Amino acid sequence: MSAMALRSLNLPGLGTKYEFETEKGDMVAIFFTKSGLIQMYTLQKGCRTPSAAEMTPVEARRLGNILTGAIIEADQESVEIAFSALADLRITIHTFYVPKSVTGKTIEELQIRAKTGATIIAVCRNDKNIINPPPAFAFEAGDAALVIGESDQIKRFEREIMVD
Amino acid sequence: MEGFVIALFVCLILALITKYLKVPPIPFYILAGVLLGKSGLGIVQSDELSRFFSEMGLIFLLFFMGLGLKLERIAANRSAVLTSGIIDLNVNMLIGFVAAYLFGFNMTESLIIASAFYISSTAMAITSLIENRKLMMREAETVIWLMMFEDLVLILFLAVISSGNQNLVFLFIKIAAVLLVLYAFAHWGKEFLVSILDRDDELPILFTFAAVLTTASFAIVLEVPETMMVIALGAAFATTDPDAFEQHARPFKDVFLVVFFVFFGVTMDLSGGADPFMIAAICILAIISKLISGLITGIVIHGSALAGIEIWGNTISRGEFSIALAALYGSGLVATTIAVMVIVTSIVGSFTAKYCSNLRRGILNFGRRAPLHRPHTNR
Repeated sequence: MSAMALRSLNLPGLGTKYEFETEKGDMVAIFFTKSGLIQMYTLQKGCRTPSAAEMTPVEARRLGNILTGAIIEADQESVEIAFSALADLRITIHTFYVPKSVTGKTIEELQIRAKTGATIIAVCRNDKNIINPPPAFAFEAGDAALVIGESDQIKRFEREIMVD
Repeated sequence: MEGFVIALFVCLILALITKYLKVPPIPFYILAGVLLGKSGLGIVQSDELSRFFSEMGLIFLLFFMGLGLKLERIAANRSAVLTSGIIDLNVNMLIGFVAAYLFGFNMTESLIIASAFYISSTAMAITSLIENRKLMMREAETVIWLMMFEDLVLILFLAVISSGNQNLVFLFIKIAAVLLVLYAFAHWGKEFLVSILDRDDELPILFTFAAVLTTASFAIVLEVPETMMVIALGAAFATTDPDAFEQHARPFKDVFLVVFFVFFGVTMDLSGGADPFMIAAICILAIISKLISGLITGIVIHGSALAGIEIWGNTISRGEFSIALAALYGSGLVATTIAVMVIVTSIVGSFTAKYCSNLRRGILNFGRRAPLHRPHTNR
């Protein structure tokens, strides 16, 4: 079997197994069990016993985000989606906790679209989500904003708007 | 009715404790039943209600087994599945049958004990592979295919033994006809089935329950065993959306099967004068014979007897299917023998599943140490 070949196998009563060998000869195996939990095994070349980690679907998605190269900070997360059919369009969605300087101001006042090109598509406030907030929407302390745009636009947003 | 509620409540507590301790719950449900039932304190009696629930438990267990059948995948993996499956079948059936026969059971009884002796618990094997993080081992795949093969043998066995006075060929033709009708229904009605399963009201779960019960009730009309009917239904539905059916049938299976186990214990008759020596011998043989079949499978499939220890450790537990056989065809002493065997092997099995890797490593290290003592001049 050549390196990088991915093997997938449906195991009756258990779930689906994905396994591949890295170029250096290490083995990685992922099992999606019927209970919904995901187990990941890694076996270093030359070793006999693999080590394993069991993850919930949410944890597995986080791991996936890290592996695909998206930026993840302690409280902030970002997902990059690539649409290879649309001239390799890459869209990033990033969460930000609003700083003090922004609280009380509206999206219109901050001129977010004009200054950065990014768009706020949702705000999470007290565990409730406000989808597509209008220009007159004013931020409050503790809000988490979900910003969508190209990675340059997101960086500009972080520099220009998210300043303390 | 009160007895039924008491039994259910005891099982709830047992489920909590066994989940916490990560041990299989089945042996404890049976033990609780024995303690509460006519051989124990006599608090709980079986009645119309418990008999109905127990029967439902058995029906849903077999429906689930049918849903899990992946015939096309067995065909794709034929050589490995067949080799390990046939080794497992021959070794364990033979040892089980000879032992039971020598202990004085008649032919039919010995055959039932041998089948219960042969068939490992699929549920316990798969749970222990996941919980002990053993899925990546090559032996894990062998164990999973073994379980699948055992299920197929069980179906064949159920068909043969339940034929009674009927002509076996005629019965098989009838079963094949039922399968064909159900497959045709699943094939032509696939869109209809999927449209029902996709709804998020009560319809999917109601449909699943009704389909299983209706099919089972046709058994009497067609004179095809109930067990065959529901397995066939499961196998036919597996061609549409087995995951959705599993999801909707799971609540029924989970509840009814617990009732089935506990009332199997309640109705167990220990007054027949079981010979403790005989039962202990069968239990020990049940563990040894899986070791023999495991070692042979390890050598043949993985080229290493040590791999066989891993297979052995995960297939010792006998469970739901052995009890099902005992409930369907075992009476008195046969049922008691099988029950004790299930209790002993499933408890021993939960330990071997956890520690057989250590045992294997221990043997390996011991084997490695030996050459070190050899004089260096030998090199």
